[in-house]
Amino acid sequence: MMSTTPLIETHDLAVRYPNGALALHHVSFEIKSPSFMAIIGPNGSGKSTLVKTALGLIKPSRGTIKVMGYDSQKKSGKIRKLVRYVPQRDSIDHTVPVKVKDIVLMGRLLKKLPPRFATSKDIAAAKDALQQVNMEELWERPFPELSGGQRQRVLVARALAGEGSILVLDEPLAGTDVESQDLIVAALGRYHKENDVSIIMITHDLNPIHTLVEDVLLLKNTVIGLGEPCSIMDPELIKKVYGPTARIVEHSGHRYCMTHDSGIDRHD
Amino acid sequence: MIDIIQIIIESPFIQRALLASIMIAIIAAASGTFLVFRGLSFMASGVAHAALGGAALGIFLQDSGLVPWFDPILGALLFSILVAAFTGYAGESGITQKMEVAVGVSFALSMSFAVFLMYYIPPYKVPLIWGYLIGDILLLNDLDIIMLGSTTLLLAVITLMFNKEFVYVSVDMEGSTAHGMNARAYHYLMLIVSALAIALATKAVGAILVYAIMVAPAAASNELVKSVRGVIFAVFLIALFAELVGIAASFVLFVSPSAIAGILAALSYILALQIKRVRDRVDVEIDDFNLSPDDLNTTWNQAVANEHEDGHEH
Repeated sequence: MMSTTPLIETHDLAVRYPNGALALHHVSFEIKSPSFMAIIGPNGSGKSTLVKTALGLIKPSRGTIKVMGYDSQKKSGKIRKLVRYVPQRDSIDHTVPVKVKDIVLMGRLLKKLPPRFATSKDIAAAKDALQQVNMEELWERPFPELSGGQRQRVLVARALAGEGSILVLDEPLAGTDVESQDLIVAALGRYHKENDVSIIMITHDLNPIHTLVEDVLLLKNTVIGLGEPCSIMDPELIKKVYGPTARIVEHSGHRYCMTHDSGIDRHD
Repeated sequence: MIDIIQIIIESPFIQRALLASIMIAIIAAASGTFLVFRGLSFMASGVAHAALGGAALGIFLQDSGLVPWFDPILGALLFSILVAAFTGYAGESGITQKMEVAVGVSFALSMSFAVFLMYYIPPYKVPLIWGYLIGDILLLNDLDIIMLGSTTLLLAVITLMFNKEFVYVSVDMEGSTAHGMNARAYHYLMLIVSALAIALATKAVGAILVYAIMVAPAAASNELVKSVRGVIFAVFLIALFAELVGIAASFVLFVSPSAIAGILAALSYILALQIKRVRDRVDVEIDDFNLSPDDLNTTWNQAVANEHEDGHEH
């Protein structure tokens, strides 16, 4: 696609947390479209805040951020038509007895107007998406009964089932086991390759996806680095973000980043 | 059986009580269910007491001659909407704890306001304020039924139309907004319509019955039933059953129907917790039986292997 509109474009962006502390400052960068983009950085580095600001969920205290040329404040409606969003798993309520199918269909029905009836096409898309993360048998299962990794897979399926050229995923690998992680990463990689969509993924750790990712944004309340995975995997940069104990390890052709903070997987 | 029908046909107050039972059960199913889903069970009592402050304001304005047309019920509805709006504002980010705090604060504020006004209301009218909390399902008049009926209808229509949106707001408010749904509007709609229904139901049948019927059947169903539609339906049945038994009992024993209905509703929750515990125990026993030593061995080996891999990668 010969698109010249950048996926994300920020100018001197500054955003505060609800408690008033500065989450992001002096953030200016541009990412071409389409891209498979990873936003990495330690806890509290402003990754989620950046994404939420891009979707118009948080108001910046200075500067602007545009998604596909649309300003996140003035044109958030246009942006949200394009976006499919997977929030952090913990922000999903577990007391409502919704079924897996309800969650996945949500990805499609949210883009419709009330009464949001599910057509056979919607159901087929939802089933297909569940199949991609190997969860099609749990169609009728109550969502709150699933394990953490299974919930995460269902949420990724919700994004895959929907329509819209941008997938935004906030820590989709957090608290998942190796199997769920592999399934999610494979499904996203395949989806990005086969469809003309951009993927923006927040992650603690680049390792599981570093072969798929095209652009990496390294954040620690401001932009520390932006580039291809290999250039970001630089010992000096990583130390700057994750502290002096972080190391890069070369192992069978891949570079791995070792930190106290992240690690390839956090088992809950 | 024919005797009973005869009695019902001949007694308009029983007809009104039965109608009100159905309507309260609908309110509990439509509104109580979603309040429990959102962890806002406290809102039922918060709104009822806020309405008390509103009723006090109405009585004060009428009595002092400042605004003679201001009926206490208007004040009650106004205050309940204010509580809903305030709660909604505190919970715009979808955080339940903040909404509970907002309910608590507005509860305290309205009660203080009511007590403040009591000094300026002639003493013989003060019981009117408290009377707001003590309705009785057997003492309803036609106006009560019309008011309650129209709110129930409004609530039922809105819930039928927007039940998906209400579920989405309850499950994932942020994600719904990010996908382009106006989650904030539905969030407020749900709270305000619920508050109106709670305020009118309190006026009609009394606070105790409203707390019990709004919260306990929904909490009980949510423990046991595994679909949203199922929960709504179960709440309706439990609430209606409790109320009908309450009314029937009040003819046999010398008791208030609300008391019996409230006790039954509360018991339904305790019973549900117990059933769930027994059910979970049975589940665990079945799981244990399936876990043969072979399975455990493979799981163990896999776990060790994974740990080994992880060690390399870190």
